[in-house]
Amino acid sequence: MTAYIARRLLSMLPVMVLVALFVFLLLHIAPGDPAAIIAGDNATPDNIAQIRKALGLDEPIWKQFLVWVSSLVRGDLGRSMFWNDPVTTLIAQRAEPTLSLALTTLIFAIVIAITLGVTAAAKAGTAIDRIVMGFAVIGFSVPVFVVGYLLIFVFAIYLKWLPVQGYTPLSEGVLPWLRNLVLPSIALGLVYVALIARITRATMLDVLAEDYMRTARAKGVAPRHMLLKHALKNAAVPIVTVIGIGVALLIGGVVITETVFNIPGVGRLVVDAIARRDYPIIQGVIMVFSGIYVLVNLVVDMSYTLLDPRIRY
Amino acid sequence: MKITRRTALQGGIATAAVIAAPSIVRAQAKPSAARTVRAVFHGDIPTYDPIWTTANMTAYHGGMVYDTLFGIDGKQQPQPQMVGKWGVSDDKLTYTFELRDGLKWTDGTPVTSADVVPSLKRWAARDGGGQHMMLRVKDIAAKDAKTFTIELKERYGLVLEVLAKTSTPVCFMMRKKEAETDPMQKIDQVVGSGPFKLNLDETKPGTQYVYDRNPDYVPRADAPSGIAGGKKVNLERVIFVNMPDAQTAVAALQAGEIDFYEVPPTDLLPQLEGDKNIKIEVLNSLGNVGQIRPNFLHPPFNNEKARQALLYLVKQSDYMKASFGDSKYARTCPSFFGMGTPMENDANTDWFKGGQNLEKAKALFKEAGYDGKPIVLMQATNIAIMSNTAQILAQELRQVGLNVQVEAMDWSNVVQRRSNKSPPDQGGWNLFITWSGGSAIGNPILLAAHAATGDKAWFGWPSDSLHEELRTKWALAGTPEERKQIAQQIQANAWKFVPQLYYGQWMQPAAMRTNINNLLPVAEIIPWWNVTKG
Amino acid sequence: MAAVAEVARARPGLAGKFAVFARRNPTIVLGAALLILTAIFAVIAPLIAGDPRLMTPAKRLLSPSAEYWFGTDNLGRDVYARTVYGARISLVVGLSVATISVAVGLVIGLAAGYYRRIDGFVMRIMDGMMAIPAILLAIALVSLNRASVWIVIVAIAIPEVPRVVRLVRSVVLTTREQPFIEAAIGGGSRDFKIIHRHILPSTVAPLIVQATYITASAILIEAALSFLGAGVPPEIPTWGNMIAASRLFLARAPWTIFFPGAALALVILAVNLMGDGLRDRLDPRLARRM
Repeated sequence: MTAYIARRLLSMLPVMVLVALFVFLLLHIAPGDPAAIIAGDNATPDNIAQIRKALGLDEPIWKQFLVWVSSLVRGDLGRSMFWNDPVTTLIAQRAEPTLSLALTTLIFAIVIAITLGVTAAAKAGTAIDRIVMGFAVIGFSVPVFVVGYLLIFVFAIYLKWLPVQGYTPLSEGVLPWLRNLVLPSIALGLVYVALIARITRATMLDVLAEDYMRTARAKGVAPRHMLLKHALKNAAVPIVTVIGIGVALLIGGVVITETVFNIPGVGRLVVDAIARRDYPIIQGVIMVFSGIYVLVNLVVDMSYTLLDPRIRY
Repeated sequence: MKITRRTALQGGIATAAVIAAPSIVRAQAKPSAARTVRAVFHGDIPTYDPIWTTANMTAYHGGMVYDTLFGIDGKQQPQPQMVGKWGVSDDKLTYTFELRDGLKWTDGTPVTSADVVPSLKRWAARDGGGQHMMLRVKDIAAKDAKTFTIELKERYGLVLEVLAKTSTPVCFMMRKKEAETDPMQKIDQVVGSGPFKLNLDETKPGTQYVYDRNPDYVPRADAPSGIAGGKKVNLERVIFVNMPDAQTAVAALQAGEIDFYEVPPTDLLPQLEGDKNIKIEVLNSLGNVGQIRPNFLHPPFNNEKARQALLYLVKQSDYMKASFGDSKYARTCPSFFGMGTPMENDANTDWFKGGQNLEKAKALFKEAGYDGKPIVLMQATNIAIMSNTAQILAQELRQVGLNVQVEAMDWSNVVQRRSNKSPPDQGGWNLFITWSGGSAIGNPILLAAHAATGDKAWFGWPSDSLHEELRTKWALAGTPEERKQIAQQIQANAWKFVPQLYYGQWMQPAAMRTNINNLLPVAEIIPWWNVTKG
Repeated sequence: MAAVAEVARARPGLAGKFAVFARRNPTIVLGAALLILTAIFAVIAPLIAGDPRLMTPAKRLLSPSAEYWFGTDNLGRDVYARTVYGARISLVVGLSVATISVAVGLVIGLAAGYYRRIDGFVMRIMDGMMAIPAILLAIALVSLNRASVWIVIVAIAIPEVPRVVRLVRSVVLTTREQPFIEAAIGGGSRDFKIIHRHILPSTVAPLIVQATYITASAILIEAALSFLGAGVPPEIPTWGNMIAASRLFLARAPWTIFFPGAALALVILAVNLMGDGLRDRLDPRLARRM
């Protein structure tokens, strides 16, 4: 097991190197000039050229890449071209809101989705099943930002139940923290609910059809108990796989949701940085997101052994 | 050391105490909500150095933490601010200034001439107005700790105006240490002598910038006006919140989560006007003037006739309607110096008085020898007004039979591509769209875009020797009347060679909670001194 | 012989046969019908709607009326015309992304699955590509370049490629184990012939299913990119940029968002329904996995 983890961690290396190379080239070959943005609209062309030089942007690309990679190896993501702060500090400042949003969204989505999925599977073929699955398809089909604005209008502006926007740090209390996360988590979690509910239903149906379930039924084990204990346990593997895939989905959704609800997270940090061409931030955040994605998938693979004793590495 | 259960426990407690300590300190230091203002502006602070950049958000930041030698008052007149006594020699060539008492940096050291002189030099290296002045300056020198002089080679009427102006870069004073930074590098510490100080512990770049009242700041005794007079601070804390989405910001203002929103879109004003907790005020009555810049280097706009054709083609009222609806805050702008500015006049504005004239435009394009080549128009898609304007301009150009190629890109791409002097089909361009503050448009020297010095000029590279001659004459003019007269000549000539044209002028009303009072109306800076809450 | 007999039998009762098919596969038929309807609208747009680009600022934000069925937007453009024309971009983006990513993914996946020597190398690159968040990659690609429909298509297609590659590769790997392939390789058949004859057919069913889902997600991502201001040029009407440009008017002029929003949701729904139906019919194994 340890050897397997070590091997997997090692295999992350070439992946991350590829990501680094790809991201760097993407940014530096494309047009857009951070120097012109820094200088502001009233600046003369000469001023802009001087700033470009001061930022080292007139150096050859391969040289800029080497400088970046060599500090990357030391765990240094560089400094923002606009503020003086190191990129690692900026990401750390924004990490709490993004992690909070991801966490509440995941919990919301998994709880709702598994409930829906199990219900649909238990009542397979009935109207309830069809309604749940119909909802799942609709959940896939409505954009996050449309749901977001709808929720804001209904729950924040008309009913005034919840705040419109923003984020309250966990240190100021769990309740204020949660109040700000309810609407974004629902908006972002909807797609996730749809996805997981479908998988749950499908795997549950599969498992229910297996011989041992039939045996269990024949032995007269109570239906609800049977569903929850046997079926759900066996359905865990594919569900966890989807959660692994869903991390990519979540990262994408976070970017949009943070914009709609003005949550000062990592997603907004990078969207703003792209608009301004703050290269070190864009590169740093993409590296971090990619690293998280690879790691989460590693953890998902690990969790198979816990969920299903038959799988061994 | 062996870790026993007991040492581990102690360590744990110590760590907990360390982690808890800063939050306790913070909790004590946090000012009451009644004296805290949360404000949302048009953008994010791109960098802390207001000399390095011309971005307005950085000037807002500068206005909080730094102070100026002079300040423009409500009547657009320069008044002493950090300067106490001052005088000018009889030959008008030597200005002597003495700093007033009680000026202190936030690190506790006093402000001296040794700080002021390098601050002036660094600013003058970056500012268009400063550069213009420096051409005539023989020396800037410290006489003693509180006195310094500016010696001129020739008479120059604008010394106090450029020191006092609010158009960017504003002439903010910094410590010697920062002021001696290479003007092309950014400063790395924020230490000012202004009415507020930046609270770095609570500030999160890109999210919120926290400014606390500077308890050591000694305001002048005179009444505040513009950025002149006593900067008395009634608030404990002002938080600049970055909120890029307008809908979110308006909703947050209505919900009382923020106190002030600088740029509510005109279309959302009805929603705010109906709210009894919200009021709407115009802080910058000169507003903004929208500019269309033709490229002088390439056909068809290397030809005067083609540029004149644009004047007849552009129907400003349509542009204003598209972006602002039937708003009382938007208007047309026939004057080269903007409407409502001291230099506004109506010389050579027949093209405007006659209204849109498609036939005339068509004829002028023909005279210019337009050959059907695609006209490259850059559209900044992430800024609504610019995006709308480009689409309407494209429609108008097509109406007179021009072949228009709209290049959609974000603003970052526009600012890069506009510096490209190549032909439009090789990475260059023909037209781009931007806007400038009305107070800057109203001054032929301060706005970089007003220069017509060809290769050295602002993007579009207009070239006209008469224009340059008149600008210098204006700068050296002795009386306001003389300036107004020269301004008329400049405009008459400008609407002939057309270095740029306008698509309208609009004021941006700010929206705030009704308990926010006494905001001073200033162009291009939002002063948070004098403001009261409750 | 059998095929001929089948056609001969089908001829008299084509309608009847369709009815049977529709009863057995209601989702495919419903989805396909909606999609065909959308495609017809997209093709005949110039016949049934006015100029979607014409701006009449004096007539901005008008509510739906006899003249403007869906009202006008903030630049005084006809929302009905824009919604109808918007179908073009959504369909073009959706279908192009599906075609490109499936085509590219198929070639790479076949190669990786069949030629085991390059497998490790290719799959590491795919892992790298999958690790970059798709939406960030797309935003970066579009906003760093000049906005155009093609850039948007490419930006959305790139992150889809590795998913197709993985799917194709896994199919190839399982097919390759089959005795008849081993026999063909042993018998000295050329690679191209083996891939073409024996392996390619088994990828068709899962790919068709995958392609429909890619279509749906591409239409959604295009809308999301427009929302973030990194989409197709604003001159071109798309449901995504219509919604994004009108989001300020949600309260004041809801029709500017409602019509493109409904059209968008409906088309994605149609594609998803079709995908579900196809999956159930073509690939029961995949159906169980999804």
